Amino acid sequence: MRNNKHKKKKLRIMLILLVILIVLILIFLFGNRKEKIKHEGRPAGTEQVAGRTAEIKMKPVTLFFLSESDGLLHAEERQIPESDLNGEARAVVEELIKGPQTGLMAVIPENTRLRQLFVTADGLAYVDLSRQVTEANFYGSSGEMAVVYSIVDSLTYNFKSIKKVSLLIEGNERETLGGHVDLSNPFVPDYSLIAR
Amino acid sequence: MECLRTRVRFPPPPPFFYKGELIDKIMSRFIKIFATIAISLILVSTQGFPLKGAPAAAKTIPVIKVTVEDSSQASVVRISGSSNLAYNLKKSSDSLIITFRALNGLKLEKSPFTSQIIKSIDLAKSPEAYLLIIKTGSPDFSFTSSARKNPFELTLNFKLKNMGTARESQPAETVAKTSPSRNNESSSGASSPPAERVSQEVISGRPRPKGVKTIVIDPGHGGIEAGAKGNYGTLEKDVTLAVAKKLKERIEGELKYRVVMTRDSDVVVALDRRAAVANNNKADVFISIHANGSRRTNARGSETYFLSLNATDEEARRLAYFENNSGELENRLGEQDFDDLKLILWDMAQSIYIKQSSQLAEFVQNQLNQFLSTQNRGIKQAPFKVLAGVACPAILVEIAFITNPEEEKKLQSEDFQTQVAEAIYRGLSGYFDLYEKP
Repeated sequence: MRNNKHKKKKLRIMLILLVILIVLILIFLFGNRKEKIKHEGRPAGTEQVAGRTAEIKMKPVTLFFLSESDGLLHAEERQIPESDLNGEARAVVEELIKGPQTGLMAVIPENTRLRQLFVTADGLAYVDLSRQVTEANFYGSSGEMAVVYSIVDSLTYNFKSIKKVSLLIEGNERETLGGHVDLSNPFVPDYSLIAR
Repeated sequence: MECLRTRVRFPPPPPFFYKGELIDKIMSRFIKIFATIAISLILVSTQGFPLKGAPAAAKTIPVIKVTVEDSSQASVVRISGSSNLAYNLKKSSDSLIITFRALNGLKLEKSPFTSQIIKSIDLAKSPEAYLLIIKTGSPDFSFTSSARKNPFELTLNFKLKNMGTARESQPAETVAKTSPSRNNESSSGASSPPAERVSQEVISGRPRPKGVKTIVIDPGHGGIEAGAKGNYGTLEKDVTLAVAKKLKERIEGELKYRVVMTRDSDVVVALDRRAAVANNNKADVFISIHANGSRRTNARGSETYFLSLNATDEEARRLAYFENNSGELENRLGEQDFDDLKLILWDMAQSIYIKQSSQLAEFVQNQLNQFLSTQNRGIKQAPFKVLAGVACPAILVEIAFITNPEEEKKLQSEDFQTQVAEAIYRGLSGYFDLYEKP
């Protein structure tokens, strides 16, 4: 009798442990994956929530536009919403496309869109523009230089972590905008085009 | 169960220990099983499931295998890779340089070979790409290429020019003058047996008699690539061609120069092809002619550019090396120098000639200032694609602004164009005089 009781107990314990084991295995197999997804999704989500609950913080940036009088790039201050590096860099290029608010001239051809912008860990910013950026009547050397360096200088000037800028058109590498400035290598800033 | 029971019974343990021990035993078994399963699960999940193996595989460095086979007339180089690779072929002196855009690195596996054409195959790394340098014994080689995807295989067929007839790598440049004495020169360095030579082959890549300078004139844009456009509809490509033709005429009046044009009609010519024309003709100077454009319609004036480099640290170091070691105009790169040269990209060929290019720019700009009534915008540097690959002193002249209505009219005028040609010609001869003085 005693043995029988123990037998039943043993069986019960083993069954319980088996169930626990199966549950644990299932958690290992599927729970793990969910956790990973959560990890990826969480930081962005929490940031957004934080951004919404708190008031949107603004941050001053310096944009470079063309001056009608001397043909050099001149600075214009602007406020953009605080965000991560990619977001802020994107805002800078979008503001450049929108054009100046003071008496300066826009440099980037109208209807150009910023398709994508991301900065690599080693400080290379890829700026992907729509094809309209290549469609302009004014693309002599000076016109092209102004477009390229207003973008390059504005990005490197405002963000210390951006060391170089690479321009892409419609997601692809392209030789030049209009036959002059070489786009195949990343640009380092050239502040000599900026008025002092 | 039977054995468990017997073990439990003999010797019978004290009753108060009994339950605990049994559970302990069962527990220890399960813990063992559980632990092994758990550990294996942890190991599998950290190293990635076999299903998730794809990203891990992408991290492995792609390998290219190179084999060389010789036939009586040609050498065949086969380059095969595990994954598809983007590449670019460029001929440079006695080598063919294949640029691979491999971001994750690249490994070279080559089987030993003996070939009468191919001397060496090496892999070099530049900041943005990997270069496979296939060195032949002579600059007079031609090649054909064919490629296959999945799996990647690039087949290159090398021929020495005096062995075969294929000339795929020859650009379709127009040669204005040829020196008759050139046909008599023998090829130095070519290890292949002497054979009859077609005169056209002799033009490129052959040393010319001293004193005859080759000037490559590059009229900017062409064909559908019209360049900047003026208010009255003047196109940059038309102005540049008109001025280039006048300059060619002017230069050809002098016996000591020969002129090669990168285009002499309204056609599209790729930017690297323009540089190739200069390099294949062993140009002494390269002059690209452009008309400027700006969003500002009041932008005006003439300026002369030479190349600026997007110098990274590594490039700057190489530049410093060449600045210290580059010789005078006459002192072209020798065989040993090429070993250094092959470490830099073809795209950076111009970096060796920056000093001379700035001097040439100065001479030309001075003459433009004297001859034209335009505003002097001075000498400038810019990373221009057309200049980057040129292996000789090279400048880009922006005559005036086509986007400025006043200057657009000037650019249309024959008289103004003739003056521009004269100014550039004088700048050129002033520059050559500098190097010809004893």
